[in-house]
Amino acid sequence: MNEKERVVIVPCSGIGKTYGSVSREAAYRVVDELRPEESQLVALSMLVMGDETAREAVAGSPAITIDGCKLACARKMVQESGGTVAQDFAVLDVYRRYRKFKPKGIAELNEGGQQLAQALAEEVSQAIDDVQQELPQGEEDA
Amino acid sequence: MADYLEYTLDKFTFKVATDCLYSPAGVWVRAEGDRVAVGVSDFLGQRSGDVAFVDVVPVGTVVTAGDELATLETIKVDIELPAPVSGIVAAVNEKLEMEAEVINQDPYGEGWLAIIEAGDRPTEQAGLLSPEAYLEQMKREALEELGE
Repeated sequence: MNEKERVVIVPCSGIGKTYGSVSREAAYRVVDELRPEESQLVALSMLVMGDETAREAVAGSPAITIDGCKLACARKMVQESGGTVAQDFAVLDVYRRYRKFKPKGIAELNEGGQQLAQALAEEVSQAIDDVQQELPQGEEDA
Repeated sequence: MADYLEYTLDKFTFKVATDCLYSPAGVWVRAEGDRVAVGVSDFLGQRSGDVAFVDVVPVGTVVTAGDELATLETIKVDIELPAPVSGIVAAVNEKLEMEAEVINQDPYGEGWLAIIEAGDRPTEQAGLLSPEAYLEQMKREALEELGE
């Protein structure tokens, strides 16, 4: 599988927001640990800037977005950049499924935040698997 | 269908339903005979952020005005909501258990918290504000929040 066919992960860029931190932590876990060969990280800020490489990445591969709040900046920017959002995760929705993992902190997430990020990362990883199964055979094996 | 007073500050517009009274804490009260429906004002909901979870005291609980009626856990803060009137909790909005977001989406309708049997003249209890008075309080709080 070449770089271009990896599923793009675009997390929230909400600075100073706990849920934004959870979204980014989850994204890092996906691309660094859980699905390093199947995913690539694209910075939301690069899409906002109109960076050509970032725009090409989202235009050429299905994207999974992780939004920290209902403004859904990640999803909207991917769409505005010509990309296709295969699945959008909202941290709040995920937290509602894992109430015991209460996130706190910004620069450093508490234990609950770390656990929530892990749970979110695992859901995103599953979504990557689902997306790749739906890709045409030729693309997956290229 | 309720009418609203509105206040816009920066990118936010806050609605105050005119068929309700309000506690200073931002809990609305709508009289329905000897019962009152209570909920969270649009301003309090927007100020507090998206609601993740709501816990309302059980049906049958006797509350005195000022007692804890519910707790909200939002993406920003945890809030204890005081009962705006005294009485017996006759019903709680079970929808909130699975869809707490309706508090933000429809604060004066589907997002109601509880029904309280409050006896005669339930809203004639001390401390409740008219919509106009609450609007003025809300303006002050909103301006303070934005540091103006």
